Amino acid sequence: MSVNNLKEKARWLRQELFEMVIRQRAGHLPSSYSMTEILVQLYYGGTVRYSEGHPDDPNRDRVIVSKGHAAMALYPILADLGYFPADELEHFTERGHLLGMYADVRIPGIEGISGSLGHGIGMGAGFAFAGRYDGMEYRTFVIVGDGECYEGSIWESAMFAAHHKLENLIAIVDRNSLCILGETEDLMALGDLEAKWRSFGWHTVAAEGHDFDSLREAFELIGKTDGKPLAIIADTVKGKGVSFMEGRAEWHNRMPSDEQIVTARQELAHG
Amino acid sequence: MDKQVEMAVAPPPELMRDVVIDAIYAAAQKDRDIFFVSADLGAKALDEFREKLPQQFIHVGICEQNMVDLASGLALSGKKVFLYAMAPFITARCYEQVKCVISSMNLPVTLIAVGVGLGYDHATLTHFTPEDIAIMRALNGIEVLSPSDGESAAAIAKLAIEQPAFRYLRLERQAQHAVYQGDFEGQLSAGVSHVAPGKDVAIVACGYMLHKALAARELLQRDYGIAAGVVDLFRVKPVNGQRLAEILSGYDSVLTVEEQLLEGGMGSAVAEALIDGGHPMKQKRMGLRDGFEVVNGNRDQLHQIYGIDTPDIVMTAVDLVGG
Repeated sequence: MSVNNLKEKARWLRQELFEMVIRQRAGHLPSSYSMTEILVQLYYGGTVRYSEGHPDDPNRDRVIVSKGHAAMALYPILADLGYFPADELEHFTERGHLLGMYADVRIPGIEGISGSLGHGIGMGAGFAFAGRYDGMEYRTFVIVGDGECYEGSIWESAMFAAHHKLENLIAIVDRNSLCILGETEDLMALGDLEAKWRSFGWHTVAAEGHDFDSLREAFELIGKTDGKPLAIIADTVKGKGVSFMEGRAEWHNRMPSDEQIVTARQELAHG
Repeated sequence: MDKQVEMAVAPPPELMRDVVIDAIYAAAQKDRDIFFVSADLGAKALDEFREKLPQQFIHVGICEQNMVDLASGLALSGKKVFLYAMAPFITARCYEQVKCVISSMNLPVTLIAVGVGLGYDHATLTHFTPEDIAIMRALNGIEVLSPSDGESAAAIAKLAIEQPAFRYLRLERQAQHAVYQGDFEGQLSAGVSHVAPGKDVAIVACGYMLHKALAARELLQRDYGIAAGVVDLFRVKPVNGQRLAEILSGYDSVLTVEEQLLEGGMGSAVAEALIDGGHPMKQKRMGLRDGFEVVNGNRDQLHQIYGIDTPDIVMTAVDLVGG
């Protein structure tokens, strides 16, 4: 898919997510918007292997959105792949329906539960370890938040993956520099995340998280890391695509007013 | 050692961990989907496992959180996973992980804890699990099993291997004398065993305290003429309330004995089962009391200090029967 088409997909995904959230007044848009291009590159840019309509294909690549509040960003994509009916998107978080605010394994295409932070790298390491053990070719992609990297469990798992040379494991760190109460570097500095992952034995690369060429270049390193797991530190903007949300911590789970909804729809349409 | 002397000495009972690991090792040789994961805890039986099946043994480092998260990914990939660590560290230390990824997805992962209760006596509080029954039975979908000797440990291991599920196995650190004589496996599915008959009071215990309950029973008969029975509640969750009530219906009162804080422990589980089943009866719970002081001492000395040693059980039973 061309970069222009990928941009169009990103615009579509943001719009879909916006309507899902506004309809139910539930969900986390800014955290989803910081990783929109990452997901679009993964699923439509040729990075992730899958077979449409077959979420249980044993050869599929595994994708885990470990920053679980943004796992909802997968829903429109998974529906688009034919994993479940698209009208489920209209019933996001509704009783008796499939899609919850946080993802779980009952949803076709969701590999593991998320919501509580710090579990995805370890879970992903389990997939990667088992896959290699079974002689499977699939890769495991885990999207973690930068704020999630505060969790100590992330680093236990990072150490494990490096020791076991899980080069079939790819972490994408959504470095939007915000957590709920403000800037990570002001609240408690995460510092040089790329250096931290590198020091834990991962092959690392920095990428522009909203630039498809940059992301593609980073993903091209998969399989060329000399046995190391790959960590992509993606520089992103929380709330990307809606001007009044961009880089503003207070929008983590705030709902826009009627006027702001109009503004956001206009901005998203021009993406 | 002189050969005659050697023959005269009874072989020491096996450690529960060796019994359990031997069973898993035997199964793992035939089933490549079995994985054994240790957070830096060893065992004699583990040495051979590590050497002969290195692909199915994972040392995760002293990283219990990753151990559990990793297990979820393995289990979701079709693996039967056994996690192994000292009791405090496979329970409270990684409770968040067990709750969020194993319990929530109901994955076939077996948590094997060694040294439950006050088993690591000299190591004191950081190594105690005075709350493991309370917190682990609070997990959605878990089965909690507490063997009291090598035979019961072996049968429980067999169950965990043959019917993989979300389970917590509470193993004693030290070898325990035999309670069962080839008759445990037939009672496993019942979850509770009437190990010694009686009439006046039923002493309910599991694991290490079952042995103290049996010792107290002897003294009650000998010194007080009280007919105490002993019930092994080896499956603490789910409690088989119906069978427990049937057993207890032959008694005037019930005394629960445990090395746990009373809040939410095995005694609570017994009370809950009796109340919920509509069979309330005269009950007394013995265990650690809130605010218990952490002191040095071996396990039996600690029991004396905390008032849960055999003579304490005897006196409490006498009061209960006479009161």
